[in-house]
Amino acid sequence: MSVRDLRGAKRYWVFGACLFWLLLTLFPLYWVAITSFKRPVDVVGGPTYLPFIDFQPTMTAWIELFSGIRGEFFSNFWSSAIVATSASVIATLLGAMAAYALVRFPFKVRLLSGVAFFVVAMGGFLLGRDILGFNPVTASIIAFCIALALSVFVNRYRLPGPVLGNDDVVFWFVSQRLFPPIVVAFALFLLYTEMGKMGFKMTDTYFGLTLAYVAFSLPIVIWLMRDFFAGLPVDVEEAALVDNVPSWRIFFGIVLPMSKPGLIATFVITLAFVWNEFLFALFLTNSRWQTLPILVAGQNSQRGDEWWSISAAALVAIIPMVIIAGFLGRMMRSGLLRGAVK
Amino acid sequence: MTGMREDPIKHFFLWPAVLIVLAIAIFPLIYSLANSFMSLRLVPPIPPRFVGFDNYIDLLSNERFWQVVKTTSIIAFTSVALQFVLGFAIALALVKKVPGENFFRVGFLLPMLVTPVAVALVAKQILNPTMGPLNQLTSFFGFPNLPFLTDSTWALGSLITVEIWQWTPFVILLLLAGLQGLPDDVYEAAELENASPWQQFWGITFPLMLPISAAVIFIRIVESFKIIDTVFVMTGGGPGISTETLSLFAYQEGFKKFNLGYTSSLSFLFLFVVLIISLVYLAILKPYLEKYK
Repeated sequence: MSVRDLRGAKRYWVFGACLFWLLLTLFPLYWVAITSFKRPVDVVGGPTYLPFIDFQPTMTAWIELFSGIRGEFFSNFWSSAIVATSASVIATLLGAMAAYALVRFPFKVRLLSGVAFFVVAMGGFLLGRDILGFNPVTASIIAFCIALALSVFVNRYRLPGPVLGNDDVVFWFVSQRLFPPIVVAFALFLLYTEMGKMGFKMTDTYFGLTLAYVAFSLPIVIWLMRDFFAGLPVDVEEAALVDNVPSWRIFFGIVLPMSKPGLIATFVITLAFVWNEFLFALFLTNSRWQTLPILVAGQNSQRGDEWWSISAAALVAIIPMVIIAGFLGRMMRSGLLRGAVK
Repeated sequence: MTGMREDPIKHFFLWPAVLIVLAIAIFPLIYSLANSFMSLRLVPPIPPRFVGFDNYIDLLSNERFWQVVKTTSIIAFTSVALQFVLGFAIALALVKKVPGENFFRVGFLLPMLVTPVAVALVAKQILNPTMGPLNQLTSFFGFPNLPFLTDSTWALGSLITVEIWQWTPFVILLLLAGLQGLPDDVYEAAELENASPWQQFWGITFPLMLPISAAVIFIRIVESFKIIDTVFVMTGGGPGISTETLSLFAYQEGFKKFNLGYTSSLSFLFLFVVLIISLVYLAILKPYLEKYK
């Protein structure tokens, strides 16, 4: 017992307050669960609360859902699952690599070369599209490559202006989260559409959606994994270095296996983020690769107040996350997430 | 720095992530910025024309834009303030080893992980003015059929409530981690001096938690400004445009009207609003953060 623990009657007041908040937290989830087992008459006739006492539960909504009368449910479930899993795996791997590099190796980026990238990319794009008359995608790709090559090249020379280090690179990654995603989602939709006109179908494809999610998960992954790697002891790696083990084998053979808890936590957080994401899926998909949130959001406008079947649909999106919550709760207790806060 | 070493392989580690973020997140931003100075429409298609700051001036003189900024700010600031107060209280209770603490933790975490779209649909059922459970409760107290989603003020309140329900867990999660990291000896000393719990909170806990509190509030405000899915499902921006948020407005302009130049400048003004709020926030906070360092 530490001095900060509660004693006496106060404990029970606080316990009561916690119980009240728990009730508020769980009631909506309980409500959606029971509504999915209600008959239409039990919904429309006013609120009913207890199965078998208030109302007679029925499986109708679930049977309808699984038999596919209510739209392509399975296809949406699988596209959600596939996109979320693969985007999280790729983002966790690439993000862990980048985070490791940012913890163990020094990087120097001149501010001027960053500015050069921005100016050349935007100027080149405008020049290509509006003066030379390329289509937007060709102009983008050319401008992007020239700008990138130029800024990497410029970075090798001793230019005036501040030199940015590793922390600034991390800040650059994390600052992506500051941007309202609608800015990018809309532009991405336009670029994808233009690419479709050129023969590379990107809207409503697995590749297009996964790529967007990887890009938007990377900042979180890098932020979480950087703190995790920074907390690892260097001795093991130094010992391996003395034995002339190449760096890529140190990372894949020693560091990654040591970081399993951190990787799993990061993967789970990314998975929840991608699974629930709405805006990008709304812009970038329309049928084949539509994800669950889009399908669930459409339920109400398509069918009005058929709450029993809407609830069943919503539960399919919710249940995997409830499982993940149990998982995260366990990790929280073991103090895994504490490092991410510092 | 210690533990740093040189190896050309570092580029192989870092560049895949940099390239993806540059291509998928930064380049579209540049593309958008370029478009925002154009008059560009898909339906009906007209050839792009350079119009300078016309789109921006149009927007800034558009009453709807200011209305939307106001609505988004009200939702963001009110819900984050309440999330913080509630979250801090709950985190304090959990760190003080309330009975059943482990069970509470998992339960409290749940809302944060539930798909926002699903949350909005559940909220719609509960807030239903005739057959929802909340209506039964308010009817019991003598206020039947309140217009939870069909009156501007009530609708705004409902959205804020849903935001609080969903995101207080995030505040609890981070503040709890922060509280667990506080040293015990300061409290032991305070106990010896007979400081009351109230004094201990304002004298020790709150100042020590200031940096992490600042970070949590900042993250939540930035995230709240992006709100679209809950509004999209619960009110669709209505009644009228009284609950329309910045993201929803941009979506309507872009996806329904295909007015590309206008939408691009709108999203940049949005970015600008978020940046101004962040800078003001950091400027206000800086002296306090330094005082307690």
